[in-house]
Amino acid sequence: MPNSAAVRNLIAAIAVSGAVLGSVPHMTARASGEPSKGDRALGEYLSSECVTCHQLSGQFKGIPPIVGWPEDSFVEIMQEYQHKKRPNQVMQMIAGRLSEEEIASLAVYFGSLKSSR
Amino acid sequence: MSTSRRQFLGGVGALAAASSLPCPAIAQAKAKLVVVGGGPGGATIAKYVAKDSGGKIDVILVEPAKQFTTCFHSNLYLGGFRDFKSITHPYSALAKYGVKLNHQAATAVDKSKKTVRLASGTVLPYDRLVIAPGIDLKFDSIPGYSEAASAVMPHAWKAGPQTQLLKKQLDALKDGDLIVMIAPPNPYRCPPGPYERISMMAHVLKAKGHKKSKIVILDPKPNFSKQGLFVEGWEKHYPGMVEWQDPKVHGGIKSVDAKTRIVRTDLAEYKAQLVNVIPAQMAGKIARDAGLANDSGFCPINPENMKSAMDANIYVVGDACIAGDMPKSAFSANSQAKVAALMIRGELAGAKTFPARYTNTCWSLIETDDTVKVGGRYEAKDGKIAAVETFISKTGESADLRKQTQVENMGWYSGITADIFS
Repeated sequence: MPNSAAVRNLIAAIAVSGAVLGSVPHMTARASGEPSKGDRALGEYLSSECVTCHQLSGQFKGIPPIVGWPEDSFVEIMQEYQHKKRPNQVMQMIAGRLSEEEIASLAVYFGSLKSSR
Repeated sequence: MSTSRRQFLGGVGALAAASSLPCPAIAQAKAKLVVVGGGPGGATIAKYVAKDSGGKIDVILVEPAKQFTTCFHSNLYLGGFRDFKSITHPYSALAKYGVKLNHQAATAVDKSKKTVRLASGTVLPYDRLVIAPGIDLKFDSIPGYSEAASAVMPHAWKAGPQTQLLKKQLDALKDGDLIVMIAPPNPYRCPPGPYERISMMAHVLKAKGHKKSKIVILDPKPNFSKQGLFVEGWEKHYPGMVEWQDPKVHGGIKSVDAKTRIVRTDLAEYKAQLVNVIPAQMAGKIARDAGLANDSGFCPINPENMKSAMDANIYVVGDACIAGDMPKSAFSANSQAKVAALMIRGELAGAKTFPARYTNTCWSLIETDDTVKVGGRYEAKDGKIAAVETFISKTGESADLRKQTQVENMGWYSGITADIFS
């Protein structure tokens, strides 16, 4: 169950980071019974690239934390970077080369973590 | 005379006892990984192998220093944007992952015996070895320069006391003084670094109200990383203060004099109050002495796994290696280290491995809230680490975007130092 306070903080972080001026991620509820396509172990392997900037502890020191996100929000934001709807050259490049399965796996992995901040 | 019965029985008993001891090969010893060098490359490998190998690999990190001062963001300390303590990180947290810290210098590698000798004479055996010593400076690449001369004309290209010396010299300058930087030839650590440093020096002088001070950069290169962005920034923020000379202008750097701080080129002679010489570079000594470097002075590697091209039991990551299209940067070292850590766990602990993927981003601060970046992603291709996609900041970007890029820069520093040292 998403922690709504954490998600509100996250949305604030995205806005502050200037990633999107004036818009916030659209929260979609997952259709009941729809399975996650992601594999946690694959997500953990891929995550080593992310945690250089996005701290595993969930600390926010200028780069938005991505720990404990609802999976749908994670996938949606990554897709927005993929389609260059969300500005940031680093994230557009990173999201651009990830497959649907890889994004889903990262969503599962990071979604399963608890922020320790 | 014959052996006494007691002696004989004692001997047989001892022999029998010796035969019943377990044979060393039967007792399952943990695989041994020795990592030489505790920078972003070595420390990342040590941490990641120790934390992810489920106790199957013994990891020793050999690094003389008890804490690490980052070269990255040392320019921001020079510019007064952060303090020295904030760019210095202890190694102590790595112990919680099971990394054994050995605070000595490694002096030699015996590739056939698979051992590393330390300064104390201790010999460490390894199953796999990581050599990540960073760079050494070719002091003799500029006539008149030497290691001794760096006490007067610092390079500050290895962070620590040299950085503090350069900061002290910078802060002591008076209005009207001249700074001369000799920039390094390719390949070198941190391509945009010298030019970020120039920006930070100019910032300090401008902030103090110096209107007559000048900075001259004598470059052996015809162009440099993020040149258009730096030139735009210097013209905007420090008009008339910074002069960059390429080889066609200066005609060649002839000499530096540590006694007088006189720098001579084919074109002119400069009597400077601060001379920052950044010489040509090569891989750290232990890598070269171990026969891991080629004629370039740097170490060729297999781009699919970061193994040395000279020895399949040795990995080389970070500034010491030849990483194709990847620049020598902390971000690159950390990225290469994660590939190497995965491959080491694959070899020593049966872990599942995936194809290598690398990334890098380099941020450069030009003036307060004005930061630019360059970066890319890379893969093993055509026998080297090749860029698949790259990006760079644009001239004329909005102040908001440049400010956001600086926020990102600070966030990255916090993230990568937590990733390596926490």
